[in-house]
Amino acid sequence: MNCLEFRELLDSYLEESLEEERRRMFRRHLRECASCRERAVSEDPTLLFAAAPETPVSEADIEACAAAVTAQIKQQRLARSLSRRRRPWLAAAAAVMIMIAGGLSWKAMRGGVETSIPATAEIISHDDVRPPPPTVEVEMAGEEVRVYQFAAEEDDDTAVYFVVNPAMEL
Amino acid sequence: MVRENLCILPADVGIDDEAVMTDRDWVRCAQDGDEEAFAQLVRRHSGGLHRAVARILADDSEAWDVVQMAFLKAWQRLDRYDPRYKFSTWLYRIGTNLAIDLLRSRSSRERIHKTHTEHRLRLVGAGEGAGSRADTNEADRILGQLVGVLTPQQRSAFVLREMQGLDTAEVAEVLGCSATTVRNHIFQARKALRGEMRARFPEYLPASERG
Repeated sequence: MNCLEFRELLDSYLEESLEEERRRMFRRHLRECASCRERAVSEDPTLLFAAAPETPVSEADIEACAAAVTAQIKQQRLARSLSRRRRPWLAAAAAVMIMIAGGLSWKAMRGGVETSIPATAEIISHDDVRPPPPTVEVEMAGEEVRVYQFAAEEDDDTAVYFVVNPAMEL
Repeated sequence: MVRENLCILPADVGIDDEAVMTDRDWVRCAQDGDEEAFAQLVRRHSGGLHRAVARILADDSEAWDVVQMAFLKAWQRLDRYDPRYKFSTWLYRIGTNLAIDLLRSRSSRERIHKTHTEHRLRLVGAGEGAGSRADTNEADRILGQLVGVLTPQQRSAFVLREMQGLDTAEVAEVLGCSATTVRNHIFQARKALRGEMRARFPEYLPASERG
């Protein structure tokens, strides 16, 4: 593209109506021809951006980026392999749990109804022998309040009493 | 360089011919679990991706974080890579999406805190060695200061095509939209930038409009 063609296409470029190949040629000329660039930027300052040369990126930055990415990939891979190693233990634990549960069910089925009835009876009999709750009596004695707690009837030699000062804030 | 023998190279390519290996060759090796092959892809494309992302974000160091994230995502999704597309296009798509997400979260943060974005102008060339890259600095310096003028999509389309020189169709693939939408994004971006530049950088007013 020569300078005359460049000038002719300036408006079309700015209006986004150039077909791709012409647009690419226009851009190349803008970057290569200093006098056309100066004139074009003075007509439309936004052409400054298309004319901006590539910013160099240092090799050290690129290498540091590659090292950082590789390190993170290794770390992720290590984390994955560690979690995979833990899985056999989980599987073994799950298998043991299943075996125990299966064994218990089997035992219950073999024992039939007989095994469950005595257990229920035992619970009922245990409820029957539960001692009655202790009784509490309160007695006013002058400035004091006496609280007696009596044990069950079978254990009639045990009685506890507290002396409560009514002025005390509970 | 010592490579673990994880990948079977194409018949006509020896270990000393790594320069002639195509992206597709390296991708195939990386898909077989060869980390060093993937590192070659990082070496080949991190510079270009960084340039694009740094311009989209107007932040050089944040751009390196995005580049690393993009490569890690690419590694994790290598099995989903469609070889009909260029590896660089696929990579730019991942990187640009991450940058757009970052721009969106940044803009919502900034709406809350009402802070200005100019503190981020550590864009390439703003520091050491700036004098040797005066032209680049000028375009990047101005674009960095106009970071809030464009939507993330407009900014990405403008940077990728106008500054990085990608084709319209390639930018469409990267952004996941049609070529017409890309042209529209760029047209709108240019309009917004033109107005803002004339308001904030009077040295770029046409000679006829200068007082």
